Amino acid sequence: MTASPDAHTQGGRQLALMILGRIGASVVTLILVALVVFAISSLLPGDAAQEALGQSATPEQIAALRQEMGLDRPAYERFGTWAWGLIGGDAGQSLVANMPVGDIIRERLPNSLILAAITTLVAVPLALGIGIASAMNRDGRLDRALNIATLSMVALPEFLVATLAVLIFSVWLQWLPSIALVPEEAGVAELLKALAMPVAALAIVVMAQMARMTRAAIIDQLDRPYVEMAVLKGLSLRRIILTHVLPNSVGPIFNAVALSLSYLLGGAIIVETIFNYPGLASLMVNAVTSRDMPLLQACAMIFCAAYLALMLIADVAAILANPRLRNQ
Amino acid sequence: MSVGRFLRSLRGLSLAGRIGFGLVLFWVVTALIGPMLAPHPVGAFVDRNVFGGYSSSFPLGSDYLGRDVLSRLLSGARYTIGLGASAAIAACMVGTGLALVAALGSRWTDELLSRFMDTLLSIPSKILALVLIAAFGSSLLLLMVIAAFTYVPGNYRIARALAVNLNQMDFVVAARARGERALHIALSEILPNMIHPLLADFGLRFVFIVLLLSALSFLGLGVQPPAADLGSLVRENISGIVEGAPAILIPALAIATLTVGVNMLIDALPHAGRK
Amino acid sequence: MSDDGSISRRRWLETALGGGVAAGAGSLLLAGCGSAARKGAASASGRIRAACMSLSMADTLDPAKAALSSDYVRHYMIYSCLTELGRDQRPRPNLAESIVSEDQRVWHVRLRSGVTFHDGKSLTSADVAYSLLRHKQPLTGSKVAGIAEQFAAVRADGPLDLVIELSGANADLPIILSQSHFGIVPDGETRFASGNGTGPYRLAFFTPGVRTIARKNPAYFKPGKPHLDEIELIGIADEVSRVNALLAGDVHMALSVNPRSTGRIAASPGHVVRETPSSLYTDLVMRVDRFPGSSPDFVAAMKFLTDRDLIKRALFRDFATVGNDHPIPPFHPYHRADLPQTTLDLDRARWHLQRTGIGRTPLPIYATPAAEGSVDMASVFQEYGARVGLNIAVNRVPADGYWSTHWMKHPMGFGSVNPRPTADLVFSLFFESTAAWNESGWNNPAFDRLLVEARGEGDEARRKQLYGEMQGLVRDHGGIGIPVFISLLDGYDRRLKGWYPVPLGGFMGYAFAEHLWWED
Repeated sequence: MTASPDAHTQGGRQLALMILGRIGASVVTLILVALVVFAISSLLPGDAAQEALGQSATPEQIAALRQEMGLDRPAYERFGTWAWGLIGGDAGQSLVANMPVGDIIRERLPNSLILAAITTLVAVPLALGIGIASAMNRDGRLDRALNIATLSMVALPEFLVATLAVLIFSVWLQWLPSIALVPEEAGVAELLKALAMPVAALAIVVMAQMARMTRAAIIDQLDRPYVEMAVLKGLSLRRIILTHVLPNSVGPIFNAVALSLSYLLGGAIIVETIFNYPGLASLMVNAVTSRDMPLLQACAMIFCAAYLALMLIADVAAILANPRLRNQ
Repeated sequence: MSVGRFLRSLRGLSLAGRIGFGLVLFWVVTALIGPMLAPHPVGAFVDRNVFGGYSSSFPLGSDYLGRDVLSRLLSGARYTIGLGASAAIAACMVGTGLALVAALGSRWTDELLSRFMDTLLSIPSKILALVLIAAFGSSLLLLMVIAAFTYVPGNYRIARALAVNLNQMDFVVAARARGERALHIALSEILPNMIHPLLADFGLRFVFIVLLLSALSFLGLGVQPPAADLGSLVRENISGIVEGAPAILIPALAIATLTVGVNMLIDALPHAGRK
Repeated sequence: MSDDGSISRRRWLETALGGGVAAGAGSLLLAGCGSAARKGAASASGRIRAACMSLSMADTLDPAKAALSSDYVRHYMIYSCLTELGRDQRPRPNLAESIVSEDQRVWHVRLRSGVTFHDGKSLTSADVAYSLLRHKQPLTGSKVAGIAEQFAAVRADGPLDLVIELSGANADLPIILSQSHFGIVPDGETRFASGNGTGPYRLAFFTPGVRTIARKNPAYFKPGKPHLDEIELIGIADEVSRVNALLAGDVHMALSVNPRSTGRIAASPGHVVRETPSSLYTDLVMRVDRFPGSSPDFVAAMKFLTDRDLIKRALFRDFATVGNDHPIPPFHPYHRADLPQTTLDLDRARWHLQRTGIGRTPLPIYATPAAEGSVDMASVFQEYGARVGLNIAVNRVPADGYWSTHWMKHPMGFGSVNPRPTADLVFSLFFESTAAWNESGWNNPAFDRLLVEARGEGDEARRKQLYGEMQGLVRDHGGIGIPVFISLLDGYDRRLKGWYPVPLGGFMGYAFAEHLWWED
């Protein structure tokens, strides 16, 4: 289980190489995402000009607006211009909002990040705690209770849970605001109050997956011979789990955590809708419905970059924690 | 598996496992024969009242348009279970299969597959579904494909992490030293040891697909009316929530028992593989 | 103001239900626009938050581009129009001091003097000419480009006078000019970044897709108005959330509540639902130039298959008025009363269907959340169709892209037509054979002739008769089914006073900002 000092330095170099390689691969993935999003969105019926003019469009107006938006140029040319601009740090001009995409993102991204960060702070420790506690009390009463609790959390549609929460805490008890539209001058207390329900709704969704995967990964290790040996040697279960089992199961655990967290940006669409929270997910849906390609691309890039970063962190952490992987 | 062995393994289940098995059995049977038992056509307007309560003519009340909730529930269960199960199975088979290929294949295969999965996974699933349905229209097959498609990468990540880990294990190294073929190592050394975490993952994925379908109904997409899956039933009757109408309580309860049941059963299944 | 242009619309008001101020408060009408100061204790303060249905990144400060209800509200806050509709729905001068015409074709407008934009610039005829003519330029992307086509010429005739020359006589011009799209902007404005208008509120804060905050304009040209200090406009797309926000006190008014939510709002002591019967309709579109709508028997069968009472009761909880497959509702002054009402008649539907020989051919019908109630209506048609042997398949498509991709492009689908201020507009936009949105693709030369004649007709009685004949033609030969007219339902905090129904839209035809006040 332990590596020699020599292997450590070698492993360190390998790790740095691996991280560099992953960052390179991330760039490839980002380009892939841009292409995939561009390709999928070109399958959508209608374009930005038609959607902007809506039901009342006349053919002359559509033609004029298409030219104005540059939609009369071939797709590859539009993609090229956009990509070239992005390399230079310019995300382009929104087709419908009459302002740079960068400005729109700057407005919305902090909202999404705050929501995701608070949710992470709440959900990750809770989920890991639940998972580890379940595994340690495997098949005991606590395990079963926690199991039912985590399952029930995801057993109801998100919109139902959120709507019920609003009904109880905003309409009946009048404790919390029903919409999370915080004024810019709001203080921390007001912010936390407004975000309490959205955070709870999101945390419930992501916790179950993390807790259950944590439990499963630990239990999987507990069944292994080395654990039996350790038990025979007279080590306590707590000690075995902390020193032997956890390092071996961090791979799947970190993966599950990273996956769940990546959900917090793009998957928050229902929560953003119900609590009227101006985040990135609703912005992206808006970009889809208005066929605002530069905005859509920008949102996709952000979600992808956040996801890749989380995955990289998860993998690096897994390698650091499990020496076997280091010498892969 | 013979019936006798099946029953014996059932007896070995814990109480939670038996409850889970009972719930799953109940819903599978409902999905299979439910529509035959429906007292009314799924789209028939039978009650002048809307959000009617439990009564002898409408045991589970009536919905927001005065349709029979029992009939709609019986038909909705089939959509939810059929779509959810087929999509979850498809997602797990494809995801795990690719994960094994990646874990045992060359570095390049692994790299290529992983990048591709990252690409798919990093696009938020509900938004991807929104785009695909807007582009291709809404049909049962498309819903199934979308749901499966969205959850392949997630399963892939988990399965790959497990497989890579196992690939370093002594017994796999030993098998490789024995000169076993990659396919053999994948199927008889690695896969059996991944089964339990993967089943847990399958259970959750089934839940997520059921919930994805209901989230799609929130966004106005999903099974074609007048039919509805369980999530759509909850969604379309949401305004009955304040009065506690059975039209919303019963479908919500149905989703809850179905998803909890599946997971309780899976949790209780005896662990396969090397101990 | 032209006598011909001021049609009596008393009946709009008389049938309008709901709480609030009693109908027929004549003093305000007679007082005209200048002295709108109210007697009594109208509190001159209050900050409120109003929730519309949705916002988007396309939210705009350009009145020509308005697409969503929130745009209309925003534009009525910061811009003013030449005319406005009074409580009786008759047009009266607003920024214009008078608007008159001899022949309904050449109109003379005199502007009110001393009106200033929010930036201090004085209003002149050049601003008005610019504001009206820009709708005709394709690049403006105006939502009323089709209507503005009739502005043959608009020219200044002195600093406060101008002449509007139409391509054909139109007695309804004063009504048309009261729409928010025709809000007056400064000459040469193209950026629309600051919302510089002459309206009752000044733009304080605007983020597309998030919120608009407007504060009282102290220099507003109507003394004593507006009453509220600040209005924050937001959008809550989910109806249940919108009602929850109202009941939780987070918003003070909520646009468009579901008929099924009315009970909840009514049960809250501090809130009230206000109903405005309107000519809003969701219609079944049967293309008469394609199978199966090309068979008049099929169209007739579908009309007999329509359970209007069920749709009214189950879909709209009776907050609707039964329709007769033409766009003029019973409470409209031009409604033709002697036209027989088509009712559910499965036998006659069967008889017509037999003559078509359609049998069990699957007939897809496209419905969408974009057309209110259409998905449920499609289910109703499917259900009744099954009873007479028709095989209707409901095809629900997303609201996203519906108008550009599906609307009018399938043999059977749904449309949704918002209330229009005049009968002429709804007929010429949706039924004239050359109209871009001639939904069913019908072509009726007699109808087209009647339409042009009625538009220029000055005599009220004759005009009503012409519109009556057109209603008959659309009902008997048109390819659209209009089961019901949908009432507009809004939820209000009871402390907001001064409401009266405006059948053109919720939130008092989106123009509430100037009229409501707060009273604890």
